[in-house]
Amino acid sequence: MKEEFVTKWKSQVKKGTLSFIVLNAISAKELYGYELIEIIKSATAIEIAEGTLYPLMNRLTKEGLTTSKWVEQESGIPRKYYILTSEGKMTLRAMRKYWYELETSIKSITKNEI
Amino acid sequence: MKFKEIVFTDAEAQRVYASYIKRIRHVLKNLLPADSEEILMEFNSHIYESIESRGDASELKSLLDATDKLGDPELVLKPLVADKMLDKATRSFNPLDVLKALMLNITNGISYIIFAILYLFLGAFIFMILAKLANEEVGLYFKNDQFVALGFVKNTSNYQEVLGYWFIPLMLLAAFLFYIAITLLLRLKKSFLKRN
Repeated sequence: MKEEFVTKWKSQVKKGTLSFIVLNAISAKELYGYELIEIIKSATAIEIAEGTLYPLMNRLTKEGLTTSKWVEQESGIPRKYYILTSEGKMTLRAMRKYWYELETSIKSITKNEI
Repeated sequence: MKFKEIVFTDAEAQRVYASYIKRIRHVLKNLLPADSEEILMEFNSHIYESIESRGDASELKSLLDATDKLGDPELVLKPLVADKMLDKATRSFNPLDVLKALMLNITNGISYIIFAILYLFLGAFIFMILAKLANEEVGLYFKNDQFVALGFVKNTSNYQEVLGYWFIPLMLLAAFLFYIAITLLLRLKKSFLKRN
């Protein structure tokens, strides 16, 4: 097996699907950054460099797919919660539809023995 | 809402934390104060939540674990700073902001621009060979022993073409050398990227 090739390919797949995963995670419930990363890690086994999440969240917010609010905490260190906007919901629906179509095609193209 | 420092009982943890926050502040220094405060607060919250979630582990160990996983501020904040600088520049019309934003955004792609130019040169050498076959007057032109042009000149009477049909093998050699050079450079860039 060409290990280097597979590793590179995996990292490309992760990069390409991270925004989809993030949008799905916050579609279920409002989440703050650290919590979001923990959920991604436990649900997908994807180890992301944690700091890279914030540039991504900034981009999603700029695109109008997410919005955020600061919530005061007893500790005095507030949390920034991310929320899916209505445009984000519509976009995520379209993304999910494409993802299911892709899944079907991948299944059909990978069913032969190798 | 304002940035609030995390307080540690371990003095060393406090020092490490202060130095990490200082690095973040340094990376954000050119942004609008509101943007810079927002990013700082978010990273601070991340550090706090990460330490809290580790429960009873030592403060210093939890802090180091949190900052390790977050990454170097200089690196992970780069795309965010580039983006915010571009926003700031398009709002402020300050030529200095524009310059800084352009520099930040270009460095990501500058190596590709260099490679594009090198490949263009490679293509040009090949094109020259074909041009020579189609038109004898394509060549390397000198005037009084000084280089004038590689290719075609409108009025050949004032210039001397110095290569004749050696032009083709020499262009082939130039293309070949360029090809080797580009491939080596690409290999260098790849190993450089791997290390980073």
